[in-house]
Amino acid sequence: MLELKNLTHVYPNGTRALDEVTLSIPRGMYGLLGPNGAGKSTLMRTVATLQTPTEGSIRFGDIDVIAEPERLRRTLGYLPQDFGVYPRVSAMEMLDHLAVLKGVSSAADRKVTVETLLHQVNLWDVRKKALAGFSGGMRQRFGIAQALIGNPELIIVDEPTAGLDPEERNRFLNLLAEIGENVVVILSTHIVDDVSDLCPLMAVIADGRIRIEGAPLDLIRATKGRIWMKTVDRGELDRIRERHQLISTRLFAGRTIVHILADSDPGDGFASVEGGLEDVYFTTLAQARRAA
Amino acid sequence: MLARVAAFEFRYQLRSPWLWIASAFVFAIALFSMGTDLIDAGETFRNSSWEIVSKYLAFSAMFMFISTAFVANVVIRDDETGFGPILRSTRIGKADYLIGRFAGAFAVAAMCLLLIPLGMVLGSMMPWIDPATIGPHRITDHLYGYFLLALPNVLIVSAILFTIAALTRSAMGTYVGVVGFVIAYLMLNEALITKPQLVGWPSLVEPFGRRAILDATRYWTLVERNTLLPPLEFYLLWNRLIWVGLALLILGVGAWRYRFAEKGLSESARKRREIPQSQRADAFVLPGGPLSLPSPSHGFASGWATFWARVRFEMKQVVVSPAFPILMMWGMSTTLLVLLTQRDMDGRPSYPTTASMIPELEQALFVIPAIVVIIYAGELVWNERARRMNEIIDSTALPNWAYAVPKTAAVTLVLGAIFAFSMLASIATQLGLGFTRIEIGQYLLLYWLPATVDMLILAVLAVFVQALSPHKIVGWGIMLLFLGAQIIKVAPESTLLNYGAVPPVPLSDFIGADNFWVGAWTMRLYWGALAVFLLVAAHLLWRRGMDIKLGHRLRLARRRARGPAGAIAAAALLTFGATGAWAWYNIDRLNHYRSQQTVEADLARFEKKYGKYRDLPQPAVTDARLDIAIYPEERRAVTSGRYTLRNVTDAPIAEVHLRRGPMGLEIEQLEVAGARLVSEDRDFGYRIYRFDRPMKPGEERLMTFRTERARRGFSNFSPEQKLVENGTYLDSSDIAPSFGFAGAQVIEGAKRKEYGLPDLPRLARLEDESASNKPGFGGGWAKTDITLSTAADQVPIATGRKVSDVVSGGRRTARFISVAPVVNFVTVHSGRYSEKHRIHRGRDLAVYHHPGHAWNVDRMLDALQASIETYEAAFGPYPYTEARIVEFGWAYYARAFPGTIPYSEDLGFVPDLTDPATIDNVSGVVAHEIGHQYWGHQLHGAEMQGEELLSEPLATYSAMMVLRRLRGPDEIRRSRILFLHRYLDGRAGDEEEVPLARVEGQSWIHSSKGPLALNLLAQRLGEERVNRALRNMLERFRFKGAPYARSLDLIAAFRAEARSAEEQALITDLFERITLFDLEAGEAKAVRRADGKWEVSVPVTARKLYAEGRGLERETALNESIEVGLFTGLPGWGPFDSKGEVMMRRVPIRSGRQVLKFIVNRKPLFAGIDPYNLYIDRDTEDNFAAVVSR
Repeated sequence: MLELKNLTHVYPNGTRALDEVTLSIPRGMYGLLGPNGAGKSTLMRTVATLQTPTEGSIRFGDIDVIAEPERLRRTLGYLPQDFGVYPRVSAMEMLDHLAVLKGVSSAADRKVTVETLLHQVNLWDVRKKALAGFSGGMRQRFGIAQALIGNPELIIVDEPTAGLDPEERNRFLNLLAEIGENVVVILSTHIVDDVSDLCPLMAVIADGRIRIEGAPLDLIRATKGRIWMKTVDRGELDRIRERHQLISTRLFAGRTIVHILADSDPGDGFASVEGGLEDVYFTTLAQARRAA
Repeated sequence: MLARVAAFEFRYQLRSPWLWIASAFVFAIALFSMGTDLIDAGETFRNSSWEIVSKYLAFSAMFMFISTAFVANVVIRDDETGFGPILRSTRIGKADYLIGRFAGAFAVAAMCLLLIPLGMVLGSMMPWIDPATIGPHRITDHLYGYFLLALPNVLIVSAILFTIAALTRSAMGTYVGVVGFVIAYLMLNEALITKPQLVGWPSLVEPFGRRAILDATRYWTLVERNTLLPPLEFYLLWNRLIWVGLALLILGVGAWRYRFAEKGLSESARKRREIPQSQRADAFVLPGGPLSLPSPSHGFASGWATFWARVRFEMKQVVVSPAFPILMMWGMSTTLLVLLTQRDMDGRPSYPTTASMIPELEQALFVIPAIVVIIYAGELVWNERARRMNEIIDSTALPNWAYAVPKTAAVTLVLGAIFAFSMLASIATQLGLGFTRIEIGQYLLLYWLPATVDMLILAVLAVFVQALSPHKIVGWGIMLLFLGAQIIKVAPESTLLNYGAVPPVPLSDFIGADNFWVGAWTMRLYWGALAVFLLVAAHLLWRRGMDIKLGHRLRLARRRARGPAGAIAAAALLTFGATGAWAWYNIDRLNHYRSQQTVEADLARFEKKYGKYRDLPQPAVTDARLDIAIYPEERRAVTSGRYTLRNVTDAPIAEVHLRRGPMGLEIEQLEVAGARLVSEDRDFGYRIYRFDRPMKPGEERLMTFRTERARRGFSNFSPEQKLVENGTYLDSSDIAPSFGFAGAQVIEGAKRKEYGLPDLPRLARLEDESASNKPGFGGGWAKTDITLSTAADQVPIATGRKVSDVVSGGRRTARFISVAPVVNFVTVHSGRYSEKHRIHRGRDLAVYHHPGHAWNVDRMLDALQASIETYEAAFGPYPYTEARIVEFGWAYYARAFPGTIPYSEDLGFVPDLTDPATIDNVSGVVAHEIGHQYWGHQLHGAEMQGEELLSEPLATYSAMMVLRRLRGPDEIRRSRILFLHRYLDGRAGDEEEVPLARVEGQSWIHSSKGPLALNLLAQRLGEERVNRALRNMLERFRFKGAPYARSLDLIAAFRAEARSAEEQALITDLFERITLFDLEAGEAKAVRRADGKWEVSVPVTARKLYAEGRGLERETALNESIEVGLFTGLPGWGPFDSKGEVMMRRVPIRSGRQVLKFIVNRKPLFAGIDPYNLYIDRDTEDNFAAVVSR
């Protein structure tokens, strides 16, 4: 459905934010995982027509997005990573206004749209309150509501769960999952669980390049038998880092749990462990760093 | 601790970039203030004591805005940075914290203020300053200005704002405070302080000491201004003490009420913001089924809906922003203030006609709307980005034009609403004043629409600038520079080059806007077309998305320009070009546009070329036959003339010089019998004809000419306003060539030097008897015969007796013939007038006026009748068969032509005299102009010093006789106070003063002091004797040729009536000297005697002074009988009844202090010396004292 080919973006200061990104994204949820500064937002904005890539092409269905951004915008829902609100404007007013901007021009249609969405994201009871007084979660729900106006076929959500508490995050993801059944939803995040919970397909981006791509389960399967774990004291960390290919460290009850990557048993007290998506991710990142 | 806090604050502020910007600003203003005539410097030194003090006052008021930033920042800073809680949890005490910081910030402000003396002293040494205009520098002036004025003023404002900031803890609150303070100050200023008739206490109420200084120096002369500092006397001293004390008190209250704890939100604000707990911990409701929403559409209907939704949304953004109500409050309060107070200048109310309200609205709303446009254009253009909504909105299907266009429209509509609101305020004012002729159509077409369209054009520029600027502040800065250039008039003068400029549209209730709106709307079309182009450009270059580099946007623009946008831009440019060409044709080709500077330079060149002919003797016109055809529809007048010229000098005349006069006059044919055209200067319109055989003394020649005057198209500046569709008013100089260079417009004053012109030649000295051969006005006595034709539905009027008046062939033609000798200076009118006639002693008294202006017509007829009756009894016959008044539009004057008086609508026809307490200036002017039918039209003064003594003061003196008859003596007393004030104000100007006998055109001497002198003379000699002297003058000079009357002749006539040395001395004091009195009453005591009468003792102090031209004074012995009175009420500026007079008696007064004793029947409350202001006394307040009774 959404085809990105050799997408490259170089900022005027020389930063290569996107480097030959080629992706093919079908209907359904698609997770784009990457650390901060990996180029996720640049990619999201580029697809959302806010930025013109230096090179490459984007097609959505029959739309050449770079040549005709207007056409894509008509069927796009975009929730940016970070957005503010106008002061002294209520949720309902703002949603109504955005509905006009998205081309829902008849008042009756807008009423249906706004009411349905406000109910949908459960902001109905606070519809008359100023957006400025909303909590992070409520604001994010407002954000997803506006992204859904006008039945978009492409929905881009950039880091939507940052700043949400676990409960809010959970609900938010449920809503996304619901929407993602019929349209293309790109979810960009640096939180591995967002992707593992939701997305049938995913890619990891680091330093502007797609590092791996595929179904999470396939990717996990590929690490089978290569992930090893050990609980150590902090003082041992440097030694382990020297000797092994360290994937991740995590504190637990005052001690450090380390994961390393090894094709065979590294000895040294490491035990084999069933890898998760997190291990896939960290492995990918670690490899990307080494390649750099 | 306090000292250390203050020191820290001081160091902190020193590092603030704001300080450096402010300092640069202050320094620059001080520096340039010495070069620019910020306060008109004239002949006083640029650094005279008075100038220096005035500048300290002005700067310290301006400094208000700077000190706000300094001191408000002191407390708000901690709350804004969030550093407050850390700081307030330390051991620092509240007083140390607040007062210490205030002291630190104030010290910085005080230091910044030190740049004022530095700037001024350096400024006076700059190369662009003429060193001759700089006097000695005096450190005391600066010490006085700095410590007594500037520093306390800054302390006062800082303390108030600091306290507001400390109590509100919000920057916005403080700005509201500043605006509120400014509004309050302006209102106070308007209500009390600018009115000179209120004395004393306003100077205590005014916080900056400005009024106290003004009062103390009100009538200061050149010498005093150059050298003296305002004395630190009662009012100034107490003003400073009271206000500094108040400032410290306010500061104390601020410190006392300040709380360290967070203020938090108010209860109601918290409620509004808070979202109930029940609504917060909710879940996403999982949809029952697949989400089904209406689908968008993207056609015309949706575009339209988008446009309006955007406009509404953006307008709301403006209207609900916190600064908006403040700006509105400011705008509206100044509007109402102007509407309510300006209507009563000098105690002369006028009917609030729409034509008079509109200019006042425009004046009141001159800057604020432009500021609103500039601020909100910036806010709206950057709105999405500032609110971080840009990513969401930019990625919607919003068409690209739906940014710039609705934002511009929103700003314009908000402004339209403001103008509509001010219009309603104006209508409410009219209704409130009981004026019910409300002309909504006029308001809409002449005020609301032009104002709104002008703001639209400005809004587009602001949006365009913001669309290109890298930051909102940059855009604001550019626009403020643009606005500032308009305000201080450094923008191009040509409306073709100055964005948004249109020619003025003069308004008159009588004439309306004639067709002047054509020029204004052509230029609006011109700039509007450019605005459309700029708006398209703003649309094409709009920042959408994240690539906001200009280069990228330019690339994008090329793509966006394909389609309708490009076509609209092209059409707009075509319209711009076409209207521009048409406007250029009108302004430059038809109306010969020249910049002010070119006009001046041309005047200078003209004078350099022909000024040598200034004194060239020219023949006089003894018989003028004019045939004038006015075509009102075409704004055109065609004149054929035949003049009989006569050599009235005693030498042959070889050349006749003829000058074209004002722009717009075309001389089509001109012949002087027996003379050849030897020089014709088309540029300056100056022709020289040389006689084949010079004119011998007494010889006559014929001169014939044909001229055309027309208003063609429209011009850049004030248009030709004399030829209009209804209400044309022309005089001889508008339709006929003038003789010689004398009387041509010349550059005056200090500017002459710039153009290398010598000082203007002074008038002939009084002692130069040969000068009395030349009349000061006109060329001697003549006959006039005018045939005037105009459209059939208009009334033709010209000077002279009307001998025929016929309508034929769609034209109305009337003929007017002079019945007595007149000057060859005629007035010509045509309009659809209403007429009111009154036959009195066989003469036709008439008023021709706009049908809507009947209010004062009867009063005018009464005044005509009373004047003629009074003057015929006192001075001799009124020489004409008619006395007519003809209304004309726009100006603010009346003028006496023989038997005919053009009288402007504003001066005579719309003043509202319903309140009997109003001084009847309308009748006064009528009586004055009829007075000129004697003093000016029967008797001419010779062109030399003292000429005006024979016209203006005598006309006013005559008018005072009429007014006393019509309105009683109290009104005369009150007008004396006005004359006294104007004379003393005039003295305080920069001209050198001369005695009345030598007056050289100074209106404050002849028109203000002159009537006072004649008034006192009539009081002392009696009206009978004074009028006999005047009658003798008339008999001697009536309709006579050279020698013409001199001021000395008048004085001699008065002396012939004087019976004592005292009276002779009075005449000397009044006319040949500059005499001043200082009369003062001390605390009087009244004691009731056994027989029920009251014994009153009044201590008085008196001085008499002779002044020199530059103001230097010398005391002289006073020994005169002066009125002393006892009263139960206080005579002053208001009406006063003689019932309040307990006793009035002339008492011999000598220099120094003396105690007068009286016995009266009633108990007096006040005592006064010269209570009715017969003498020239700079302080009339102290002429009165309260009477203490026992």
